[in-house]
Amino acid sequence: MSKIEEIASMVERGKAKLIPGLVEEAIAEGCDPVEILNKGMIDAMSVVGEKFQRNEIFVPEMLVAARAMKKGVEALKPHLGSDANVSIGKAVVGTVQGDLHDIGKNLVCLMLESAGFLVQDLGVDVPKERFLEAAADPEVKIVGVSALLTTTMPAMRDTVALLNEAPNRADFKVMVGGAPITAEFAAEIGADAYTTDAASCASVAKAFVTG
Amino acid sequence: MERIPFRKEELEITAPPLLTGRLGVPVLNTPITPRENCLMFLRGEEPLWMPFFSDTLSLTPAVDPDNVARGFVFDATGFNPVESGGGPDKFGVIWEYVPSVGGSMVRPGSPKVPDITEWEEYITFPDIDSWDWAGSAEKNRKLIEQDIFLRGTTILTGLFERLISFCDMDEALIAMVDEDEQEAVHRLFSRLADFYPKLIRKFREYYNIDIVTFHDDWGSQRAPLLSLDTVREMIVPYLRKISDAAHEMGIYFELHSCGKNEMLVPAMIEAGVDMWNGQPMNDKKMLAEKYGDQIIIGADLPALPEGASDQEIREACQSFIDTFNSYRTYGGRARGVPGAREILYEYSRIAKCGRAV
Repeated sequence: MSKIEEIASMVERGKAKLIPGLVEEAIAEGCDPVEILNKGMIDAMSVVGEKFQRNEIFVPEMLVAARAMKKGVEALKPHLGSDANVSIGKAVVGTVQGDLHDIGKNLVCLMLESAGFLVQDLGVDVPKERFLEAAADPEVKIVGVSALLTTTMPAMRDTVALLNEAPNRADFKVMVGGAPITAEFAAEIGADAYTTDAASCASVAKAFVTG
Repeated sequence: MERIPFRKEELEITAPPLLTGRLGVPVLNTPITPRENCLMFLRGEEPLWMPFFSDTLSLTPAVDPDNVARGFVFDATGFNPVESGGGPDKFGVIWEYVPSVGGSMVRPGSPKVPDITEWEEYITFPDIDSWDWAGSAEKNRKLIEQDIFLRGTTILTGLFERLISFCDMDEALIAMVDEDEQEAVHRLFSRLADFYPKLIRKFREYYNIDIVTFHDDWGSQRAPLLSLDTVREMIVPYLRKISDAAHEMGIYFELHSCGKNEMLVPAMIEAGVDMWNGQPMNDKKMLAEKYGDQIIIGADLPALPEGASDQEIREACQSFIDTFNSYRTYGGRARGVPGAREILYEYSRIAKCGRAV
């Protein structure tokens, strides 16, 4: 097993403590830092996402894998060089006003980060105006809107409606999700995409920005 | 027990609801009381009808601060959750009541326990002996002494949910699998497994309960939050201790666990759970077939469209009884379906005992 494969395996298993040492060893062996990031971490998180979708692993395993990747990225940063831009775009994500649920939104943040996005987490109970304000940043490519409750679906509708009036609307995609949300509802309220889980959200978001 | 056939007169109302509010139902002219029927069912005997959610009168009095914090006080005091729900639970965690949801949540972001490995520094277990149990029971005397409905209570925040309330969802989930944190979770759950039986004993002593419902959500809309292995390792030993204690007191043990938790049913059985009250996204028929000899599965009436006709409601009820009558299941709440309780009762009575000529 190569060092990069070893890193990928440890990311998948969520071994956060072991990752920084393995990254240093890989660098010392002459591995390309960008390859370590892409194959050892981002690809590993894709595998984690696929296993999650197949119910082979569950939310805690996904969380510890994301945490391991974060440790790996921290260890890798000094080796990537100051001009190395590893972000594929900025995403802002939040749970709509009136809804305090955060686990789905947090998973989406983690998977978007793992897919290479720079993520701004707006938190829970977020007013629609706050989404609009965040989306005004010209770097933003994805706006993720979450709602877990049927009672907060109207807040999602209002939020998306406001985002759709943004002057820079053509610059970002609006993605929605949450337990009561469906593709039909997403289309009805004018969102660009609905995904059933965090892993597929990251895949679709990545496809939006990379074409 | 004689298989008394159904007579139309059984649908006559003999008394108004004992409990005001959304959980109260009128008393029907049943040949035996719902409580007697439920106890037969729980003992493994064939009941005269499929027991329903509404056959239990579950009291969650304000004497337990959790019930106030969660906006879930159901007793004789006429509690208004919008006015009085929320606030500190019995461990001092602050909950926010959300009227549109009809329940409470802990706002994430500033957990009471910032590091689960040091939870003992932040958590003090409540002294439940100091609570006014006698005063609470006095307020509810008539409801406690009734023997029409099964007498129950609900412990609203179980093991995993308690962990979440202490350290937020993400950290709770990680702590369940992270080997550096699991030991602390074991310590916490071990303490809770000592604590909850004391709480159940108070409800036995002052509220004379037949059944306790233990509220611990383990799933999301699409799948369990935790793997079967994790539940077996981290929850089952402690839940078993609590259910064993309840059983020793002569109290049945029901688990309320939201989410698509089909694959966790083996863990529920190992934990000594008598009944699981799960959500409709679970395949109840499959579960009843597969595990019905080991655990009672709660089955929900299929959702009906708003404004469903009487005929549609009757057909849905008949289909429900046809599907589940032969299994050891009980009927969940027929939310927002007018008359469904009475129709289900009638069809179930006929399915089990026939109709009087």
